[in-house]
Order: sequence, then C-alpha cells, then structure tokens
Amino acid sequence: MYNDKNSQKIVDIIQNWARKHSIWVLAYGTGCGAIEIAPTMTSRYDAERLGIRGAATPRQADVLLVTGYLTVKTVKRVVRVYEQMQSPKYIIGFGSCTINGGMYYDSYNTINLLDKYIPVDVYINGCMPRPEAVIQGFVKLQQLIAEGKANGAQKYLDNLAEYKANQAKIAPHWIAKAPDYNW
Amino acid sequence: MIEQIKAAFPNAENKDFDGNRLDITVNKETIPSVLLYAKDKMGFRHLSHIAYVDWIEEGEFELVYLLWSPVDKVKLFIHTRIDRENPVMENIDMIWRQANTYEREIKEMLGIEFPGLVAPDEFILEDWEDLPPFRRDFDTLEYVNRTFWHRPGREDAQDVRETIAERSGEEIPDFAQKYSR
Repeated sequence: MYNDKNSQKIVDIIQNWARKHSIWVLAYGTGCGAIEIAPTMTSRYDAERLGIRGAATPRQADVLLVTGYLTVKTVKRVVRVYEQMQSPKYIIGFGSCTINGGMYYDSYNTINLLDKYIPVDVYINGCMPRPEAVIQGFVKLQQLIAEGKANGAQKYLDNLAEYKANQAKIAPHWIAKAPDYNW
Repeated sequence: MIEQIKAAFPNAENKDFDGNRLDITVNKETIPSVLLYAKDKMGFRHLSHIAYVDWIEEGEFELVYLLWSPVDKVKLFIHTRIDRENPVMENIDMIWRQANTYEREIKEMLGIEFPGLVAPDEFILEDWEDLPPFRRDFDTLEYVNRTFWHRPGREDAQDVRETIAERSGEEIPDFAQKYSR
C-alpha cells in the first residue's frame, strides 16, 4: 500500500493536493520546543499563509507536532492522542530530542527514538529549530503528501504488533489496560 | 532564638554565614517528637522540604527536614540517618500536610518506606519496576541501553580538533587546549 507517484491514481493526486494545502496541526507542546510554535503561527512568520493552522482537538487534526523530549509518561499520552486522530494523519518530530534523545540521551525517563513508538513522517533537526526550519519541515511534509509518500498511518497499522511491543517495553501496565487500536 | 535552640539541642551547629541557619542531627526514632517540639514550642511553623541523600559508602540514607520560622526568620535543618538495607521511616504527614508529597517522592525515588502513608500509589514514575532511580547504585546509562535505543551516528560526536588541526596544518591554540571534551 506504500504508493508513490507512479502508482497514484488520479483521485489520490487530487486528494493529496487538497490535503497538503490544509494542514491542521495539533501541537503537542512537550519540552522546550513549544516556544517556537508561537512565532511560527503568529504574524512574524505567519504559517497560515501555507495553510498550516492549529486544531482544537485530536479528531480534527491532520498533523501531530511533537515538540521536544518525551518522558515515558508523556509518550503514553502522545500514543493515545495519535490513535484518536482520524486518517489522514501525519507526525512531525521536532528537535533533536525526538530524533536521538538530544541532551537527554542518558536519562532514565525520557525516550530516545520517537519513531520506535509512533511513525514519524518528517523530522525537523535542531535544538531548537527556528521558525524557518519549522516551516521548511512543513513544506517537506507537503511535498511528501503530494507525492503520496507520507504513509505513517499505514505503516503504523501494518506494523502494529511491533509498535505495541515497543510501547509495552516502557509501559507494560499501561499497555495491558489500553483499549485496542482496532476498536 | 538561636540560643534557645542551642539550649534545647546541644549538638546544634551554626553552618551558615549570615547566622540564620542551624543544623542539628538527631536519631531517627526521635524525629516526630523533635519536629513537634520545633513546631509547637519554637515557632518553626513551616516545613519547606524534606531533602534526601544517599550515603552509599556508609550504608545509610540521610533525610533532612528543612524547617522555617516566619517569625524569627531562622532556618532549622534536622538531619537524620536511616539504614540503607531496611529503609523505614516514620510518617510525619499528620504534623505537616505537605510532608505527604515529599514522602511519596522519597518513597518512589529512593525506596524508603513510610508506614501509614496515605495515597501510596505511584506518584511521578509510572510503570516502574526497576531499582528506585535516585539510588546511587542505579546505573542510568545501563538502564537506558537496556530500555531505549540509541540512533547510530551519535558516536560521531568526538573531538575533531586534532583532525582539523592536522588537515589545516595549524596548531591548536593554548586556550583551546584546556577545554578537553
């Protein structure tokens, strides 16, 4: 099901064109990265001219923006939020903490690799990335959507057992009580 | 005020420069009565914090009850040592309600049991099954290697100044030599 441009149908191309111009962002403001969201969204950089807007709830959002380090506690909430989102859904990992743990790589309660627990479509490098870099990341995501390559949600469904096993490794009791993704 | 404390606790010592802090060391059994005496008779109405130290070499934990007297502007630090093998400490949250929070933190982070503590469920750490993480024999990096993953490429973060100096034919200046990584 990982389609690229050659195998996209004409309907997909139109759908993806529409999707890439209306990115509703749910900013999960963990860590220090959330401070860069405000200038990105407000008048100085004004991300809304690219169709990037904030969404109120997970069910209305297209993009989950994870801005910074995630403790074991918050990664559970991020997983819950991500599973509540409706398809199409994408994840942007923001800052070096989501990429490799950043300066917290040896901390006992922050995870290192975000894409072991949820599928990340685009990473934005930096500690912290400036608003230009954030917008660059969104433009990259728009490219991937237009080419039909932003398939994180499908990847999550296909490899659900593996993702759940990784989540259970850090939160065994929580996974045992969590509702099934296929409800 | 200082003299009054020194009369009550002969082993009180003044470790502070501005003279408004006193440290006393007492037995673990006498902690509740000492705290009650300090609160009721001496005016130390406020418990600021319960600090904790892991003296792994001596096989002991140290708890420090930080009291503050808002009337006399005096700090009283009450130290006590408890055994590391079987760490049990008297619960004092009936004296100060806020002690409950600190004791729950200590229970989770250091593994000291407080019999009779209300709400003894998990506080900060969730799903924790390992050694309490603030113990000094808890190896954080070993735990991280066992639980999480490292992305390949981090080993690049090495000292590259020698390579650059070799390549450019320049010497590393003295002021840069002393900042080794």
